[in-house]
Amino acid sequence: MDPPPEPVSYICGDCGMENTLKQGDVIQCRECGYRILYKKRTRRIVQYEAR
Amino acid sequence: MIEVKEEMVEVKEEPVHYSPQELQRPDSRDLQALRELFKPHIESFDYFIEKGLQIMLDNIDPVVVDDPSTGQKLRISFGRGDLEDPRKDRRQPLYPYECRQAKISYSGQFMVEVSFQYNNGPAIREKFKAGQLPIMLMSKLCHLRNADPQTLIHYKEEASEMGGYFILNGYERVVRLLILPKRNYPTSSMRNSFRERSEGYSDTAVVIRCVREDQSAVTVKLYYLRSGTARIGFWIGGREYLLPVGVVLKALIDTTDHEIYSCLTCCYDEKYEGAKGAVGTQLLGERAKIILDEVQYLGLLTRAQCLEHIGEHFKPVMPGMESEGNLAAGEAMLKKYIFVHLNHTHDKFNLLIFMLQKLFSLVDQTSLPDNTDSLQNQEVLVPGHLITIFLKEKLQEWLSKAKGVLQEELIKKNNFNLGSLGDVKKIMERNPLSNVGSAIETLLKTGNLATQSGLDLQQRAGFTVQAERLNYLRFLSHFRAVHRGAAFAGLRTTSVRKLLPESWGFLCPVHTPDGSPCGLLNHMACTCRITSFFDAKGHVRNFLSVQRSLINLLIGGGMIPSSPELVRAGPPQVVSVLLDGCIVGSLPAEKVAKVVAKLRELKVANKPTIPYDLEVGYVPLTLGGTYPGLYLFTSPSRFVRPVKNLALSSENGHGVEFIGPFEQAHMEIRCPDGGDGGRTTTAPATHEEIHPTWILSVVANLTPWSDHNQSPRNMYQCQMGKQTMGFSSQALRFRADQKLYHLQTPQSPIIRTSAYEKYGIDEYPLGTNAIVAVLSYTGYDMEDAMILNKSAVDRGMFHGQIYQTETIDLTEQSGNRREQSKKIFRRSKLDNHKYTGRPVDSLIDTDGLPYVGQTINPDEPYCSIYDAVTNSTKVLKLKGSEPAFVDYVAVDGKKPLQKVNIRFRKTRNPIIGDKFSSRHGQKGVCSQLWPDVDMPFSGVTGMRPDLIINPHAFPSRMTIGMLLESVAAKGGSLEGKFKDATPFADLVKKADGSDKKSLVDDLGSVLLSKGFNYHGLEVLYSGVYGTELTCEIFIGPVYYQRLRHMVSDKFQVRSTGIVDQVTRQPIKGRKHGGGIRFGEMERDAMLAHGASYLLHDRLHTCSDYHIADVCSECGSILTTTFVQHPRPQVHDNRELPPAKPPKKVTCHACKNSKGMETVAMPYVFRYLAAELASMNIKMKLQLSNGAEA
Repeated sequence: MDPPPEPVSYICGDCGMENTLKQGDVIQCRECGYRILYKKRTRRIVQYEAR
Repeated sequence: MIEVKEEMVEVKEEPVHYSPQELQRPDSRDLQALRELFKPHIESFDYFIEKGLQIMLDNIDPVVVDDPSTGQKLRISFGRGDLEDPRKDRRQPLYPYECRQAKISYSGQFMVEVSFQYNNGPAIREKFKAGQLPIMLMSKLCHLRNADPQTLIHYKEEASEMGGYFILNGYERVVRLLILPKRNYPTSSMRNSFRERSEGYSDTAVVIRCVREDQSAVTVKLYYLRSGTARIGFWIGGREYLLPVGVVLKALIDTTDHEIYSCLTCCYDEKYEGAKGAVGTQLLGERAKIILDEVQYLGLLTRAQCLEHIGEHFKPVMPGMESEGNLAAGEAMLKKYIFVHLNHTHDKFNLLIFMLQKLFSLVDQTSLPDNTDSLQNQEVLVPGHLITIFLKEKLQEWLSKAKGVLQEELIKKNNFNLGSLGDVKKIMERNPLSNVGSAIETLLKTGNLATQSGLDLQQRAGFTVQAERLNYLRFLSHFRAVHRGAAFAGLRTTSVRKLLPESWGFLCPVHTPDGSPCGLLNHMACTCRITSFFDAKGHVRNFLSVQRSLINLLIGGGMIPSSPELVRAGPPQVVSVLLDGCIVGSLPAEKVAKVVAKLRELKVANKPTIPYDLEVGYVPLTLGGTYPGLYLFTSPSRFVRPVKNLALSSENGHGVEFIGPFEQAHMEIRCPDGGDGGRTTTAPATHEEIHPTWILSVVANLTPWSDHNQSPRNMYQCQMGKQTMGFSSQALRFRADQKLYHLQTPQSPIIRTSAYEKYGIDEYPLGTNAIVAVLSYTGYDMEDAMILNKSAVDRGMFHGQIYQTETIDLTEQSGNRREQSKKIFRRSKLDNHKYTGRPVDSLIDTDGLPYVGQTINPDEPYCSIYDAVTNSTKVLKLKGSEPAFVDYVAVDGKKPLQKVNIRFRKTRNPIIGDKFSSRHGQKGVCSQLWPDVDMPFSGVTGMRPDLIINPHAFPSRMTIGMLLESVAAKGGSLEGKFKDATPFADLVKKADGSDKKSLVDDLGSVLLSKGFNYHGLEVLYSGVYGTELTCEIFIGPVYYQRLRHMVSDKFQVRSTGIVDQVTRQPIKGRKHGGGIRFGEMERDAMLAHGASYLLHDRLHTCSDYHIADVCSECGSILTTTFVQHPRPQVHDNRELPPAKPPKKVTCHACKNSKGMETVAMPYVFRYLAAELASMNIKMKLQLSNGAEA
């Protein structure tokens, strides 16, 4: 059996609260109940071509 | 109202400067001017919410269902209508931002009371859900109404959000303003098509578009027959019905033949024959006799007989009239279709007499036909009215359908009892009322008007357009655009497109596209307004009291009222007074001018009884001119604009009068240039234009010194201004538009017009002040190419991005409802294979969505969807040819993750082939990014230009405004000041008598004082050789725009690729990697040059080159087949395999393999042979060597 996928962080579109959601979770802010969440920016190094 | 007026009079000369603190506060700007631009849309929808909806519901005819077995009658009608504000699950308020993100509609619950009444018993009222009705943003039901900029920002909107549009499935759509014939005004017209109506018809008719209180319209045409009589024509359900006018005259009121005769002939008096303004001729008597004889011939003598005659003929086409008598049906017909804007039959009779007189005068050439193409006889269709009339039809349709299903059930008789309301409601549920709401949504979503009757409109499609936010000017223009109607787009004649003097001040003469919609799609001038149902204080007007007070005023001015009896006289003695299409009386000719002056005075005085936008159309007596009369209009959806009334204006700026296009044609308005327009003393100017730029639209007003440019260049700028990449939205972070263009480093122009501040364009800047040198430098600036300084670009000039939002809705992708929950976003663990060199987990996160901020290259996956039904994972790959960054990933929904918006950002920095333009219609394509070190430089300052254009761009185009801009901006930047470039400014200044210096002197002296050349020239040195250039170069800052046309979206290249299955030729289309057609004309050019080898290469070798086997015996290419001999079995592995057997081709028809030849040919030729064979035609090839042929 595969290990369960690690949770991903989302930021509420209304109150700015950070929510971590797992596969199959209800898409809703735990703080305010808002239903539009933005995925948090990746922590990985993102390199832009500086030219 | 007074506050608004004062604001209008005051023309800002000085640019407004805000302190930094003020700029930080988003509500510091005065948004009133901007708000005014969007008003026609919002006010009309507000009226729909407030009153129009209820009036419309009250005007819907009830239906009666009859149960023949019990004799029970059920009357179904509509009661109160209730529209709610947009809510989530009918609880929490729904905001527009959420609709855009979630791709849903911004709509409110629509409830209608349906009342059931049994046999005149008490009415039982039941509330029905009528679906969701889209709500216009910033209307009275919108949550953003009255929100200050701070609050708007909180709701993730623009600080200066204006509304006026709808949100449907996340898209913003605007209802197009359409031109319609002016309501309730009889226009005389001559058209050849009238002649084809039937035998005996002439080309002459008087047409009136009558509009009911609920905004639905019926057009009535009065045709002139060559025999001297007239027919009245109108449309019911897609067919035109024609009635002899005499029958209608007699049916309307109890009258005598003598009365009709004297009414018709009253406008003829021997005394005035040939006098100025006389419209009647001797022939009137004859015609009146013919009209009366016609009725007599039909055997109709009394009013009742006429009504029965009409009722008998119209009963079949009038729903709900089956059980009524002929007399009642006739009365109902007159009420429902003849002059529907009038309620009293006497008024209708009077109007018909008036129209007949106008018709006869047109026939006798004592008056001219009205021009239906001129704005004088036009008004506009506003969103609220369109929705009202469409909703009315849909509700009426629902009622008659409900009646249909109930009657059907009564006939079937399976336990259905009409007496039981529960049963009735159950049956009616088969045709749910909620369809009505979705019908409105479809209308707004697609712009298609799905109607049977046509609603008296000329077109069925194109009622709405998407409000693109490419830049602010384009967005704004959608709300100011007025379309002539789709029916005119296909017309061969160009007369409808003409710029007519009647539209002066109302429609912008500059702002119309060139090309196919030229002259059909116009834009309103910046100060042009549309009248509405609201007065200046925002209350719904009481038209009855307005009309009553107007009539009293007119009577006071000497008018003889039309009731109880029409005045038996006509022009030139008296002129008829029409108030909103109703004959209210007649005024002695000598008193009219005085009454008109009084009306104008009261209009300007802003009394509550006389509306400020009353149109006083006094058509004076002329010899064979327009049919005279005093036409007053208080109706909504007319154009109006402010001018100064000279008789009433005082120093403090009062005396602003709002005039309409109808009255404007007969008014004396002078321009404030002091020239008085060549007027004589007999007709002195009574009004004056307030500011000359007010004839231009907002976009045209932004062109600096447009009065110094050749006029087509200003038109081009209006086009290009709307295609510019700019700061499209301040709420960019929160937007989910399909495509958004964004300019990284926009600047505020140094040279700006007064409109720039007035409309706050600085909030949405769309260009850069580039240092432009006009010289021929490298040869790369020929033919409108331009050279960009590479270092300037590297420092960020014209840098931009495209934001593209990809919406993935898993519930949508599977059509089947049961399947929907089976799809989820999930990364596949099994096939972790590589896509273009990168493993999947470096591109897709554990939730199946991309990492925010990462780069995705073309053809790499960005999203992974797992389908539980098929147990497979699908990835979505990035399309296109350029890399993209993941800008944001927004998830939304109720249940587990099903709906995602992924926004990509593609960098679009200037490259060779991108398009740029100045604000003077001077567009060019970047041809080189020239290194800074090789650019020419100024000997004094050392400055290098950002941009080089060719001097040939100027002589033929004559854009002097651009030269002025360059000189002025140079001076402005040296002084550190913004410069005002409002066109026609010298005309206004001259009136004060202050400034005498010419503009060039003004600008040149600034340069001189700063030590520069007066003409803006500078000594430049060659960047390559370091030598002084032989002439001085014109150089200075010009505001340049970057247009959205970029090579990255357009380039098309192909060597090999996909071919068409049937023809094996390369396919077309950039999207699919196809080629560009090398067509017939290109072929001709090659032939003419004798380049046959090249031609062969292009059309054959690089296309569908094919080698076919041809049987020389029978000449066929289709019967030859390739026979494969089985390979001999190899027993010992150590031995070499036997040689490949020779290819053998046989002909099936000849049954041998002799004489097989290979011939090169296009593959389509084989296809042609096959097609011909399918039609039983044999194609035979005769083979020979070229030399023998």
